Amino acid sequence: MNCYLCDQGMSTQVSWRSIFFNELQEVVCLRCRAGFEPAVPGCPICSAPGEGKCADCCEWETTEYAGLIDAGKSLYRYNTAMKEYLHQYKFLKDIVLSQVFAADLREALYKQQTMIVPIPMNGNKLKERTFPQVDRLLDSAALPYTHLLEKKEIGLGGKSKSDRMALQDIFWWNGHPVPEKVLLFDDLYTTGSTMRLAAQVLKDQGVKEIKILSLIRA
Amino acid sequence: MKEIEEFLTGRMWLRNFTPFPKEQLDDAILTGKVRVSPGIIDGKQCARCLEKSSQKIVPFFCAACQSVCHYCRHCIKMGRISSCTELITWAFPSTITPQSHSFFWNGSLTPMQERASQEVQQSLSQDKDHLVYAVCGAGKTELLFPAIYGALKKGLRVCIAAPRTDVVLELSPRLRAVFPSTTIHSLYGNSPEQSGFAPLVIATTHQLYRFKDAFDVMIVDEVDAFPYSYDPALRRAVSKAKKEMAPIIYVSATPSNQLLKQVPNSSQLFRRFHGFPLPVPQFRSLWGYEKDFSKGKIPAKLIDWVDDKINKEQPFLVFFPTIELIEKAIGLFKQRHPAIEAVHSKDADRKEKVMKLRQGQIPGVLTSTILERGITIPNVQVAVVGADQPIFDAAALIQISGRSGRAVDYPSGEVVFFHNGIVWQMDKAIKLIRSYNKGARG
Ligand SMILES: [Zn+2]
Ligand SMILES: [Zn+2]
Ligand SMILES: [Zn+2]
Ligand SMILES: [Zn+2]
Repeated sequence: MNCYLCDQGMSTQVSWRSIFFNELQEVVCLRCRAGFEPAVPGCPICSAPGEGKCADCCEWETTEYAGLIDAGKSLYRYNTAMKEYLHQYKFLKDIVLSQVFAADLREALYKQQTMIVPIPMNGNKLKERTFPQVDRLLDSAALPYTHLLEKKEIGLGGKSKSDRMALQDIFWWNGHPVPEKVLLFDDLYTTGSTMRLAAQVLKDQGVKEIKILSLIRA
Repeated sequence: MKEIEEFLTGRMWLRNFTPFPKEQLDDAILTGKVRVSPGIIDGKQCARCLEKSSQKIVPFFCAACQSVCHYCRHCIKMGRISSCTELITWAFPSTITPQSHSFFWNGSLTPMQERASQEVQQSLSQDKDHLVYAVCGAGKTELLFPAIYGALKKGLRVCIAAPRTDVVLELSPRLRAVFPSTTIHSLYGNSPEQSGFAPLVIATTHQLYRFKDAFDVMIVDEVDAFPYSYDPALRRAVSKAKKEMAPIIYVSATPSNQLLKQVPNSSQLFRRFHGFPLPVPQFRSLWGYEKDFSKGKIPAKLIDWVDDKINKEQPFLVFFPTIELIEKAIGLFKQRHPAIEAVHSKDADRKEKVMKLRQGQIPGVLTSTILERGITIPNVQVAVVGADQPIFDAAALIQISGRSGRAVDYPSGEVVFFHNGIVWQMDKAIKLIRSYNKGARG
């Protein structure tokens, strides 16, 4: 087959991936794979580089969102290869690319006992994109997940103070019973506000412990 | 409505990506002036690029149409096409008033170019395909000018398709200078938006996906050049973009036997336009060059060659078979000569680097096969590292040799094939170059 990213022919690659998870087929060539930069352990919440909690996460601890997230990590850094990947996956809507990180996600989550809850998309966005990109990443990794949240029809990005206040209601609980522990999953961690707004809603519903996992730390 | 007609005549466009107000377009569709068709035919074939392999036409559950949709991965970079994507095209016969054209060219054709030019025009007048079998630097573009002008004057729409953006970028200013009053569109990946109806379109072969039944004359440049020769989808794109009976003029330095058989009308042109023969490549062994690079060492013979060019202040190109090898080599070369640059197909600064080389701001460039055609740098000296590698077939090697010695002031350039053992494609390239040069004299 050809590499999903560069379309060059690939010989069948035997790597730790195919031995460890032989049900997941490698879909990108070694060269393209090497372009992605794994996040090394850093911030215990978002994997930003450096010792201990990063400046962003420390800042959150001074707000009303303090203590919402117990632990977390990201798997990759946002570099040029990742930017191109996200462009092709989300903007060009090349759905098969949900398989590119299937093995990584599977390795990170398959032992997970807690319920995996993806960050949802709103209906308009979903119609426009034609597929739920966060759910598809989990589907490709054959990981079970449950939706507990719904998202309002407006996007982030409001500038005025009242707009930002309105953001607090961007997610709401969908009525599905909540467990004690939850793992929130999103594709891209940028400022951390999405995760915290979602975590807030779940804590309000009685979730005791929230961990987060993002594919990419921007 | 005039803008819509001008834009959509002969085109196949994504309904959701037009530059027109929605109401205007909806109205044009309601009145039947614009036809809407599905992006994927029967879940099997892309209506734009005609791809139909099951690896590229992929099913998914579509949240937009709430059913299983298929999308095309082959042409996805041009905006994704899926079963529920609508393609639009101008449905009525064109009412666009023909432009008046002027022809502004004070060059002259050699008797050999003149004859070929006449032959092309004769084939066109009979709606027959024609092959211009011309070695690089033979002035093949110039000899097409009269035929293009003739077609434009008759109100015909002409397309020049080339395999790569570099070639489109080089041809465009030349044609704009020659046909100053003609609307000319230059289309390549991420080209700027160009308004109006263009009777003359210069496009990469990929951009032809966006046309259907559009052209009365189709000129396909470098027809057997990579990637065209390997991609049947592009071949299909050519026949889809032109009107059914429209003749094709193929231009090639290395036509395949199949093409020679398929197109009986042809003109051969072996004399380079400045009348000098093509430089005959020299073979030089470079045993174990890959190992050397892996060990962080530039092979001695290659250093000598590059140092020599730098001492003589001759610009140079060194071709490499893989991007990996370029990446290994460029660091080592930069240690010796920091100004040397490397380019490859994914390099966004490619254009600037080539411009710098042309202007003498940098001594030389290491490159992948991306630069093998469409590049004119006066007095450029050429080396191929790993000329025995399969990516350098005879056609590619001839094209590369043709980079050298293209300007009248510096008709002869050095071409060296560094190799790890001579392969028959190298022999074939030399044999063909010798035969071209013989033709040039005879
Ligand atoms: Zn690849
Ligand atoms: Zn952090
Ligand atoms: Zn297609
Ligand atoms: Zn659909």
